[in-house]
Amino acid sequence: MTRPANVSGWLRLILPWTLLAALLLLPVARPSDNLIRLLFLTAVYSTAGLGWNLLGGMAGQVSFGFAVFFGLGAYTTALLMHAGHSPYFGFIGGASIAMLASFFIGLPTFRLRGPYFVIATIGVTEAVRVIMNNLDITGGASGYRIAEDKPFNPLEHYYTAIVAVALAVLVSTIIANSKFGLALRAIKQDQDAAADLGVNPFTTKLWIHAFAAGLTGIAGGIYARRAGFFYPGDVFAFQTGINILLIPVIGGIGTIWGPVLGGVVFIIVEETISAKYQDFHLMIYGALLILIVLVEPGGLIKSKHLWVRLGKLLIGLFTGETWKALFVMIREILRKLRFLKAQHIEE
Amino acid sequence: MTAVEYLDLLIKALLLAGVYAAMAVGMTVVYGVMKIVNLAHAGFLMLGAYFSFELFTRFHIDPILGAVLALPVFFVFGMLVHWVLVRWLPKSDTPTLASLLLMFGFWLVLQNVGYAVWGNEDQSILTPRTLSAVHIGDEISIPKVNLVVFAAAVVCMILLEIVFHRSWFGRSMRALIQNPYAAQIVGVDDQRTSRMTFGLGTAFAGFAGALLGMLYSFSPDFGRPFLLRSFVIIVLGGLESVSGVALGAIVLAILETFSTVVPLPWYWHGWHTFYLPPSYQPVIPFALLVVVLVIMPKGLAGLFNRKWKTA
Amino acid sequence: MSILEVEKLTKFFGGVAALKEVSFDIPENQICGFIGPNGAGKTTLFSVITGAHRPSGGTVQLHGKDITGMDSASLVKRGVARTHQVVRPFKAMTVLENVQVAVHYGRRAVTRTSHAREHAMEALRLVGLDQKANQIASVLSLGEQKRLEVARALATAPELLLLDEICGGLTGAETRSMMDLLHRIREGGTTIMYIEHEMKAIMSVCDRITVLNFGQKLAEGKPDEIQNDESVIEAYLGKNTFRSAPRA
Repeated sequence: MTRPANVSGWLRLILPWTLLAALLLLPVARPSDNLIRLLFLTAVYSTAGLGWNLLGGMAGQVSFGFAVFFGLGAYTTALLMHAGHSPYFGFIGGASIAMLASFFIGLPTFRLRGPYFVIATIGVTEAVRVIMNNLDITGGASGYRIAEDKPFNPLEHYYTAIVAVALAVLVSTIIANSKFGLALRAIKQDQDAAADLGVNPFTTKLWIHAFAAGLTGIAGGIYARRAGFFYPGDVFAFQTGINILLIPVIGGIGTIWGPVLGGVVFIIVEETISAKYQDFHLMIYGALLILIVLVEPGGLIKSKHLWVRLGKLLIGLFTGETWKALFVMIREILRKLRFLKAQHIEE
Repeated sequence: MTAVEYLDLLIKALLLAGVYAAMAVGMTVVYGVMKIVNLAHAGFLMLGAYFSFELFTRFHIDPILGAVLALPVFFVFGMLVHWVLVRWLPKSDTPTLASLLLMFGFWLVLQNVGYAVWGNEDQSILTPRTLSAVHIGDEISIPKVNLVVFAAAVVCMILLEIVFHRSWFGRSMRALIQNPYAAQIVGVDDQRTSRMTFGLGTAFAGFAGALLGMLYSFSPDFGRPFLLRSFVIIVLGGLESVSGVALGAIVLAILETFSTVVPLPWYWHGWHTFYLPPSYQPVIPFALLVVVLVIMPKGLAGLFNRKWKTA
Repeated sequence: MSILEVEKLTKFFGGVAALKEVSFDIPENQICGFIGPNGAGKTTLFSVITGAHRPSGGTVQLHGKDITGMDSASLVKRGVARTHQVVRPFKAMTVLENVQVAVHYGRRAVTRTSHAREHAMEALRLVGLDQKANQIASVLSLGEQKRLEVARALATAPELLLLDEICGGLTGAETRSMMDLLHRIREGGTTIMYIEHEMKAIMSVCDRITVLNFGQKLAEGKPDEIQNDESVIEAYLGKNTFRSAPRA
């Protein structure tokens, strides 16, 4: 690796490792079980989000159907564990089955473009859920229970998830910096032009779909093992696919750290705001999505402005100037919308 | 099964197709003019059902009248949604991720409003019509409600066709569908037509939702299966044509109705037949969707009128 | 020895024939021009040869091997590259990255990033864009974007290069430097097929010219033969018109 040229370059090199070390050493500080659980969930969802981001962010192929891979990972892991295999073998098995499924899904659907592809993924995920609800091997709609002989050890689950998310970041980084990543960016911008330079869009998409599915499958397996009980209406749900899509979109689509940030935000929202106001769970995500799309299409990670504002909002919480900070933030959003409109007219 | 039973099912399928067409047509016009895959359509369907439900339970307004009343109300509502949200979207010839996510986000909001106001238990609209039926001979009986709903849907579709082909607004819509740039050059007000189109699409969603509410029980998650059916229909219909929608609706309704009662052939050491278990029936629209998309991405209409395509 | 043999190539769009049984050979290491009125089928011809459209009939052979209907990406790997009349740069990438894609996935299939960068820079130097290598492609002027398009196609290391109107909208000086570039590319051993409306440019640079009209081959020959061909003049200017300077 070349030496970074400036401070931000150094930061970019050092921060991930610091973060990883902090996460690995965290249990020494005896954090609460709940914090460990939250970090576990964040890591699992970030892993799935990073997987989605490979296909949706880097290659620009938006799929609503990643619940299929999440669910397949969960069920494969569970079935392998039931057959007496180690859970880690289960995760690998889950990833493999998810990758295999990704080829079956990709072969027909990658012949489609744009909206047709998106709509097809919705069809695939709904069909798979109905089938899984009826299969005997999955226990049908009533669900599946994983019974482990060992006592429940939250730290083992935690470390598994941290390793998974580190792996996902590593895979994403390697792909982003390789010639494969360059081809993905080319396909995202202009598939035909990419083909004219020798990139085969179809096979490239198939491969990245497989990587994405593998990571999502692992996430599904890890999630299932800790949950202990799950059913098709949960892991194969349309909503699960949406959550996996939301994470990179919130955090920053097409970036490496965006999905990680998105996972953090997602879990915070999920566990605090929507746990508190359960009745407004969907609305919170809906509003978040609308705001991101209209105001900050690059995601939170791209938004320096928003970070500054959020910081001020936090400071405001302590100094009692919350309302003022909130007001400034809303004004900013409105100004941005006006700017969007100006662009519109220019076109 | 006897021939009469088949005929009975065929009639039911055709009646269903009428509602399906009304349900999908709103999505088609929005896609055609604005190139937005309107995921919030599901939310509008759901609101339409609750709209006529509320009118019925509170003011004892006949659900059919409720459905008709939904048209103007949802038209205004749709224009409002366009004005508040949709118009900010960057314009594009193909659906953008931004438009998909925006409409999806709005769907989530609508769904949540549904849960907050009406809770998550199933509701249904029961009128004397629901249980009575028209009998033809001994074997065929058609619930009256299906007939009424079908008639309402067909009348509305015909009205839409007239608006589409006879009015200034319809001409602007068709111009934008065919060539947005040329349309604007000759003076079609893109923003205004988009707004009214979105209103129209929403109006039809509300109307169809109210009709569907008379046939099925509903909850705030009501729209989802119908959203996917709408996709199937408009894809079958070629995404942009209103008459294609009718065709797509008939195909889907017939396949759904007959899928579990017609023996399907399969090969395993010789030919056998089997029946599709009813629990797998929901797979039909989704599987059909994928198959249709892959085999004929231009839809059924694309098979009939292949247009000149330039390099 | 001919590098490309096209035999009775036909393409229908709906019921309309955009190409009707067009046949010709492209000799190795020459610059072959394709001219014809608008809608004559020139771009369609390129699209069918390079796999963007599947032909309705006829065959295309590269070095005597059948490549009819092969997809664009495989053709690039066999040494057939094209540019588009309407430029299509990857706007969110730098100029260098644009060309890098072509080096990685072209005929040479370079794997190492550092090598790919060198090759890409070489191509950019050839078209005179090396100063702008690290700029985002969307900020380039039209002339620069056209040169980028050529650089990308060149970076795939083609044996046969199909250029579609690379001079449209360029200034006189830019056009002249483009003609110099074509000569240099040819000297590097690449055969060129070249569509252009700019008559002066194409007459000066081409070894041979093929004229298409209404999807059919109208004439073929050296530039001065074409300029004096009755049927060509008729196709461009209509009957009973005195010959004047051909339209741009």
